[in-house]
Amino acid sequence: MRAGLLLALGPALAAAAPPAGERLSFVSCPIIRDTRTVPCWLSDYEGDRYYLTIQSDVSAAVQPPMLGHQVLVEGVVADAPLICGGIVLEPVRLSVMPERDANCSTMLPADDRFTIDFNPRPPGPSAGRLAFAPDPAAPPPAPAPAPRGPQTVELYFDFDRGVSFRHPAELGEILRLAVQIGATRLKITGVRGAHRLSDGTLLREAPAAGRRRAEEVAGLLAGAGLELPAEVEWADGEQEADGIDDWRSRRVTVELTP
Amino acid sequence: MNGSSRAISRTPRPRREAVRVGGRNRAGLALGAVMGAASLLAARPGLGDGAASQWWAPGEDRPLPAYIEYVNASGRIGIVNAAGPVDTTGHPFFEPRGSNGRACVSCHQPADGMSLAVSSIVQRWADTAGSDPIFAAIDGANCPDLPAGDPDSHSLLLERGLFRIPLPWPPVDAEGRQIRPDFTLEVVRDPTGCNTHPVYGIDGERREVSVYRRPRPAANLRYVSSSRFGVTPFIGKTGMLAAVDPETGRPVNMNMMADAREPTLKTQAQSAARGHLESPAPLSPRELEQIHALELDLYAAQAFSNQGGALNEPGGPSGLGPEALAVGRDGVLGNNTTQFVIPMEDRWADLPEGGDAALRERNAFRESVQRGHDVFFFRTFWISDAMHINTVGLGNPIKRTCSTCHGMHMTGMDTANGWMDVGTTNHPFALEPAESPWAEELPELPLFKVSCRADLPPHPFLGREIYTQDPGRALISGKCEDVGAIVIQQFRGLAARAPYFSNGSAASLRELVDFYDRRFNIRYTEQEKTDLVNFLSVL
Repeated sequence: MRAGLLLALGPALAAAAPPAGERLSFVSCPIIRDTRTVPCWLSDYEGDRYYLTIQSDVSAAVQPPMLGHQVLVEGVVADAPLICGGIVLEPVRLSVMPERDANCSTMLPADDRFTIDFNPRPPGPSAGRLAFAPDPAAPPPAPAPAPRGPQTVELYFDFDRGVSFRHPAELGEILRLAVQIGATRLKITGVRGAHRLSDGTLLREAPAAGRRRAEEVAGLLAGAGLELPAEVEWADGEQEADGIDDWRSRRVTVELTP
Repeated sequence: MNGSSRAISRTPRPRREAVRVGGRNRAGLALGAVMGAASLLAARPGLGDGAASQWWAPGEDRPLPAYIEYVNASGRIGIVNAAGPVDTTGHPFFEPRGSNGRACVSCHQPADGMSLAVSSIVQRWADTAGSDPIFAAIDGANCPDLPAGDPDSHSLLLERGLFRIPLPWPPVDAEGRQIRPDFTLEVVRDPTGCNTHPVYGIDGERREVSVYRRPRPAANLRYVSSSRFGVTPFIGKTGMLAAVDPETGRPVNMNMMADAREPTLKTQAQSAARGHLESPAPLSPRELEQIHALELDLYAAQAFSNQGGALNEPGGPSGLGPEALAVGRDGVLGNNTTQFVIPMEDRWADLPEGGDAALRERNAFRESVQRGHDVFFFRTFWISDAMHINTVGLGNPIKRTCSTCHGMHMTGMDTANGWMDVGTTNHPFALEPAESPWAEELPELPLFKVSCRADLPPHPFLGREIYTQDPGRALISGKCEDVGAIVIQQFRGLAARAPYFSNGSAASLRELVDFYDRRFNIRYTEQEKTDLVNFLSVL
């Protein structure tokens, strides 16, 4: 998303910013900063301010967090100019923490030092397509080969959350794959996620998170007509928590067998 | 055909001679004044037989023409019947079906944009001494066993245009299986007495929750029921299973009712026949087809503005007038500068200043409408803590415009699965009389306490204890996150069918705008509010 973002640099906030390439994983309040166009999202951690993303639309790879809630941030410090006064994390993964936190309420006014000159989507109506939709002038992608043999689909979740707006397309893809390969068996494994934060803390989801997700996905697929014998299992992802892309532990794995 | 309701050729349409009852009731109007208010309306010059004739009683056996207009306070609404004249004799939309004498048309009146304005309800009370079928005890009274004929028994209908909607509690799914809700429901306030009633209450024999809602327009339903955009087996905003059409097994857009409880026009008609109409027998497949076909052919929109003149004249904004709806494309996202929600093409921007006073006044109004459109479409503000908009990957808050949520081309609805909670029914945003020693008005609607399960994530903006007048979609889904979420209504024919919002809490378009202004701290200027109201009044 950040490619093409030009900005007027503000003063560096931290005397000793973490080096490029360093992985960070922390839970903190998000901060929203208005600009003359769309707002940008930031978060403070150990005295440094990090840029997370900007407001665009549902096609964005990184979708903004919410005031009123802390956000779990997992990212890599990028070798890039500050954006909106924040050190850039690229790639970055955000998950809104489910419990409410009234302390997370910081809205910063527009400040001419911080501008977003590349604007994938204005704050009002779009110009006719989603911000990150493929260029209609570009040649269409080559059709993917028909899937054959066993297929595995992984669905990732927000912290302690179940199926949400992130999942309709993926659930639909599972239905399509099942038809295409003539699936006869289905295995669904839900995992309770765990995170090794940068301060060494182990952050774990609710004990029932994996089971709840597995059963929810199984119920939704069955309800949508995927009437296959289903093995539904759940597991604990604690052993996966090493501070590197721990968001992958918040998942459901769906295995389809012809 | 009724003498005052005549079919009129497409364009231009001469002004009808019949006069519409133009008054409206306000939320909070003292009940004792209802009869008096109706008498005053009836005594206004120009009213009389013509006013009464705008009412379609069940079984009148008058044809529905291909086009008809009715006067309202802002001008005239036009109804296009795309299939051409319909003989209503024996037609199941127009014939009484059940024991209470109602037909579909009872609550879907052409003069009221195929909905039912509270001014019409008040007039009907006056004309029939409260005996019109719309006041049937089943849902035209605050609770069925209240004394008939007493306006106090029908206060929510007479003052806010609200019908009682009894829903099973706990909720049941499409197959009638009980759903375990994510929350418990407690009655905190019960001004109608129905939610604590030994028969009709939550813990009563029937185990029902009574909520009170406005009837939605039975027009422009090709748009409302379109499945061309965003309809998949899974609901786009939540990932849950979409409702399916029982005839085809295909998912539907769930955009039709306040709580999306009925998937199709046919299931809604069947449910309404058994419930609202108290029909002892279900509608036959043929009758359902007749209703379905008629509803898809009806288009309603304001056709003439008292201040702005004809809304459908050649060269005018292409999105105004009912004819535009009849030929428009459904299932199109209009929140962009290639489709627009209500296309106006800037045709009322910078109009000539010359001409006589009447022309200058008309053009000034038209320019106001154009500015109102631009406020609706381009004026940004912070949308915050609104469930199913701030939770779908856009962030909380988002800096957007009215058309972000009201994005469906031609109707201003959401494109699919359009329930959101903007605070119309939930504490602390819902419009209610202030509790204070100085308050003369008392709350009229029930208040429920929703306690969400501790082992599940809380509602992201309201927590685990929520107070609401109407849990909305949550009474169907059983989901805590759906508490107070109401399907967005269409914007067309607004001038004909006050009051607004599902709970009738905005008596006028200005009150509607003021609600949003307060709710989202928009800080509209007076000019912006006027322009926005004028824009809404011509839709």
